[in-house]
Amino acid sequence: MPQPLPSKEASLFRQLVKNYEAKQYKKGVKAADQILKKIPNHGDTQAMKALILNSQGHGEEAFALGKVALKNDMKSNICWHVYGLLWRSLKNYEEAIKAYKMALRLAPESQNILRDLAHLQAQIRDYEGYIESRQKMLSDRSQLRQNWTGLAIAYHLNGNYKEAERILTTYEDTLGQTPPKTDLEHSEAVLYKNTIIAESGDVERALTHLDTIIKNNLDRTAVLELKAKYLLQLERHDEAAKVYTTLLDRNSEYRPYFDGLEKALKLDRSDSTSIDKLTKLYKTYADRNKRNDAARRIPLDFLKGDAFKTAADEYLRQKLTKGVPSTHANVKALYADPEKKAIIEQLVLGYASEEKSANGSVDGKPNGDASGPSEKSVLLFLAKHYDYALSRNLDKALEYVDRLLEMEPKNVDYNQLKARIWKHYGNTEKAADLINFAREYDLKDRYINTKCAKYQLRNNENEKALETMSKFTRNETVGGPLGDLHDMQCMWYLLEDGEAYLRQNKLGLALKRFTAIADIFEVWQEDQFDFHSFSLRKGQIRAYIAMIRWEDHLRNHPFFTRAALSATDLFIKLHDNPDLAKDGKPDLAKLDPSERKKAMKKIQKEQEHAKKAEADKRAAAQAKATATKNEDGETKKEDTDPNGEKLLETKEPLEAALRFLRPMLELSPRNIDAQNIGFKVYLRRNKLLLTLKCLNAARELDAEDPGVHENGILFRRHLNNLKEPLTGPVAEAIKKDFTSPAADADLKALNEEFLKKHPQSPRHLWRGYNVRYILDPNSKSQNEADLQKLVASSSSIAEAVAGLELLSEWKSEAKVIDAYREAAAKKWPQATVFQK
Amino acid sequence: MDIRALKPEDIPHVQLANITNLPENYFCKYYLYHAMSWPQLSYVAVDVSRPSKTPYGPPKIVGYVLAKMEEDPSDGIPHGHITSLSVMRTHRRLGLADKLMRQSQRAMAETFAAQYVSLHVRVSNQAALHLYRDTLGFKVDKIEEKYYADGENAYSMRMDLADLKAELRLQDDSDEEEESVGKDEGDAVGSEGAEKKEKKRLVRVGRQLGVGDLVERNETAAA
Repeated sequence: MPQPLPSKEASLFRQLVKNYEAKQYKKGVKAADQILKKIPNHGDTQAMKALILNSQGHGEEAFALGKVALKNDMKSNICWHVYGLLWRSLKNYEEAIKAYKMALRLAPESQNILRDLAHLQAQIRDYEGYIESRQKMLSDRSQLRQNWTGLAIAYHLNGNYKEAERILTTYEDTLGQTPPKTDLEHSEAVLYKNTIIAESGDVERALTHLDTIIKNNLDRTAVLELKAKYLLQLERHDEAAKVYTTLLDRNSEYRPYFDGLEKALKLDRSDSTSIDKLTKLYKTYADRNKRNDAARRIPLDFLKGDAFKTAADEYLRQKLTKGVPSTHANVKALYADPEKKAIIEQLVLGYASEEKSANGSVDGKPNGDASGPSEKSVLLFLAKHYDYALSRNLDKALEYVDRLLEMEPKNVDYNQLKARIWKHYGNTEKAADLINFAREYDLKDRYINTKCAKYQLRNNENEKALETMSKFTRNETVGGPLGDLHDMQCMWYLLEDGEAYLRQNKLGLALKRFTAIADIFEVWQEDQFDFHSFSLRKGQIRAYIAMIRWEDHLRNHPFFTRAALSATDLFIKLHDNPDLAKDGKPDLAKLDPSERKKAMKKIQKEQEHAKKAEADKRAAAQAKATATKNEDGETKKEDTDPNGEKLLETKEPLEAALRFLRPMLELSPRNIDAQNIGFKVYLRRNKLLLTLKCLNAARELDAEDPGVHENGILFRRHLNNLKEPLTGPVAEAIKKDFTSPAADADLKALNEEFLKKHPQSPRHLWRGYNVRYILDPNSKSQNEADLQKLVASSSSIAEAVAGLELLSEWKSEAKVIDAYREAAAKKWPQATVFQK
Repeated sequence: MDIRALKPEDIPHVQLANITNLPENYFCKYYLYHAMSWPQLSYVAVDVSRPSKTPYGPPKIVGYVLAKMEEDPSDGIPHGHITSLSVMRTHRRLGLADKLMRQSQRAMAETFAAQYVSLHVRVSNQAALHLYRDTLGFKVDKIEEKYYADGENAYSMRMDLADLKAELRLQDDSDEEEESVGKDEGDAVGSEGAEKKEKKRLVRVGRQLGVGDLVERNETAAA
C-alpha cells in the first residue's frame, strides 16, 4: 500500500505532481526533497522525483531512484506507473507495458494508466492488447464518441472489419438526430466507416453506404474519389465516367482520374481503334485551359509515329515558346522509346535552325516572342538533351550550354547545367568549382546553395560543403551547422557526407553519418506516438490510419536502404579486418622503414590537428549550448564521439550491422542488394538457414544476378569446408533448399562456365574473377590482368571504379592499381577519381 | 506533374524539397501535425514520369503546399494559413504553385468553411509576391516587422474565399441537381474548435515536444 502522508506533506506531494505536469522541474525537486527529509523512504515521492530527474536528462539517476521507490512501495500504483514511464523513455516498450499492467492491477480505475498502456500498445502494434484496453476505456466512459472510434480503430487495425463497423454503427444508433453538416468529427467518422466496409471487400455495400453520406460529407474530394472507384470496381461504367468527369473538373492534373475515365469509357491505349477516341478526349481537356499540362502530355505516351510527331511538335513548341525550363524533364521519360527519342531530337534541332534563319533576317526575333520557340529555351533543351543519360553526348551538351553562357554569363541555371555536364564527365573538381560560380550569382537562393554543397561533397570536400550549407542553417544550434542539419533531419546531406567520407576511407565519420540516418528513422517512428491520442481528438481517423500504415513500412525508404547498405558493408569489412578500426590509416607493418616513418609523422600531425580542431569546436559549442539549451526545452548532450571512433571499435560489428540489415530484409525484401549483403552477414555469423534464405530470395529476384552466382559458390564452398558435417534439421533443410550449385559440383569449372556465359558484362565478370580468386588465390595475377582488360569496355565511371575497389579488396600491389588507374584515366580522361 | 493531396509517406520528400529550397525548415513531426490535423489541405506536385529505380522508390516530389487552419483565430473567423510553399527551381514556370494553392484553398473552404486564407512572404521575395498578388489575388494586409529569424520583414497577405465559395455552391448545385432541397450552407462553427486546450505560445524547435506544443509554432521559430 502507498504510505500515507501527514497533511503538510500530502499537500506538498500534490504540489509536486502539479510541478511535474507544468514542467517546473526545479520546484518539483525542491518539494520532493522536503517530503523526503521527513519521510526518507516515501516511495511515491521518490518515484515522482525520479520522473522529474528523467525529464531533466538525468536518466541513470532517475532509473536508480525509480527502482528504490519501487522497493519501498511494491504495492503503489504510482511507483509502477513511473517505472513504466521510465522504461518507455528508454524505448523498452515491453518492460514499460509490464509495469503499466502492474500499476493498473493496483489501480484498476486509473484513466491515466489505462491511457498510457493503450497508447503504448498501439505504438508496438499489440492490437490484441489494444482492443482490450480500448474496451475498458469505452466501458468507463461510453458517452464520448472518441472512445467508440478508438475501439473501432483497434479492431480495424487488427483486421476485424466486422467488429470495427459494428462498434461505429452502435454509436451512430445512439445519436438521436443526425448531427449538422458542419460536424467535422461526424463527417470523418462516417467516411471512416465507409472505408472499412470497402476494405472488407464488400464494394456493393460500401457504395450503398457512401450514397447515404455523400451529400453532407465535408471531404468532397475523398467522397467523389471513393464513389468513382467503387463504381468502376462494380463495372457501372457510365456512372463511373460521370464521377471521374466531375473529379477532372476539380483537378485536371491528376493522372489516376484520367486513368479511371479511360477505363470507364472502355478505352484501351494498346488498341489502335481506341487511339482516335483517346486523342479526342484529351483534346477536349487540353482546349479547356491553356494551362492544362496533363491533357497535353499524356497523349505523347500512347501516340506513335506521325501522330506522335505532330503532338510532340505542338507540345514542345508551346513549352519552348513560353520558355519553360523543365520542358526536357517533362518529356525525357519518353526517351525509353528510341523512336520517340529520335523524333524529339529531330524536332528541337529543327527549331534551332528555324532560329538561325529567323535571327539572320533583318529584324531578329526577340527572345520570348510568342510566334515560336525562343532561342534560349531551345539551346537549353538541347544542352539538357545531350547531357541526359539516354541521349548523352557531353561535348555537344557543353557546346550548347557555352552558347547560352555567351549570351548570359551570370545565369544561375546555365552555370548549374554546365557544372552538371562536368559532373557527368566525372570531373567532380571542375563541377564543384563551376557550381560555386552559379551559387555566387544568387546568394539568396537556397536551391543553388544546396546543389553547390552536394557537388562539393561529390568532390570529397566535406568541410567546404558544410561551410556552404551554413549559409542557410541555424548556426547557433548546439553542434553548429552540422547540429542543425541533424535537427532538421536533412538526410540527403548526411548521406552524401557519409558517402564522401567513405570514399576517403574515413570510416568512423562515414559510420557516424549512416548511424545518424538510422537515428532519424527512429525519431520518425517515435513521432507517431502522440498521434494515437491526438488524432482521436481531432477526428481525422483516415489520415491516422494512413500514417500507421506508412510507419509500418517506414524503413523501406531509399534513404534508409542507402545508408544501411553502406553501413552493413562497412561492418562486414570491420569484421573481416578489425585493424580498419584504426580508421583508414595505412597498414604500417606493410610499409618499408622510410615510408613507415613518413606515414607515422603524417598520422601524428593529423591527430594533433584533429585534436586541436576538436577542442576548439567543443569550446565553441559549449559556450553556445548554455545559451540554447533552455530555449529548445530539451537538453542536448554533448556528442562524446563526434568522429565515430567508438562506433568503429565495436567488438561485435556483425551484431551492430543487424540494426541496418534487419529492417532492409523485412521491409525491402525485393531489393537484391539487401539480400546479397544479408547473405554475407549471416554467413559470417554462421546462421546457415538465414544465409540460405537470403541466397534463395536473391535468386528468386534475379537468377542471373552476379551476386547470386558468387554467393551460391561461396555457400557451397563453405559447406564443403565445414570441419564437422551438419546434422539434424538444419542439414535437412539445406539439402532440400540448396540445390544449386549441386553438392558435388566442380566449383572452379562452374565459375569458368559463368565467365564464358557473360563475356560482355563487367558486372558479371568481376564477380567471376572474385570467385576465381577466392577459390584459388594463386590466380591473383590472372585476375588482375583480366580485370585490367575490362576497363576499356566498362560503360560508366562507376563501373570502372568498382573494378578499382575489387583490386583493393584483393590487396593488389600499388603498381597494379596504378596501371589500372592509368587505363581508366585513358578511357575517362576527365574523371577526377582516376587522376593520380 | 500530378497534383494531389499529401499522404503521410510523402513527408520525407516534402521535407527534402523544403530544406533544398527554403530557409525555414521543420522536422517530420511538424509535417505530421499538419497531415493529421488538416489532411485535406496540403498538396504535392509529383513528377510521375520518372521510372523508379527500385520497387520501393518514393514519389518524386517537385513542389508542395503545406497548409493549415488557424487554430485559435484572433478575429474569431475560421481561416486557413499557408505554412510553407515551394517548387523546385527545375520545375518553375509550369504553374505548379498556382495549381497547388488553388486545390488547397478549395479544400479550406469546402471542408473547414474557411472565409479567407493568410500567409507570410519575405519582402525581398518578388517572385512569390508576384504569384500571390498578381496570379492568385492575395492582398497585402500589413507588414510584420522582423518576422523572420534573420530580421527580414514579412508581408502579411490574405485572400478572401467568398468568391470561391460562391463558385463551389454553384458547382454543388449542378452536381446534385436532383436533391438540392434544404442544403446547409452555413459555415462551420467550432467543429474544429474542440481542440482548444493547447496553450498559445511560441515554441522553439525540439523533437521531444508533444503535438500540443507544436500548435503555435510557425515559420519564425524554425528559421
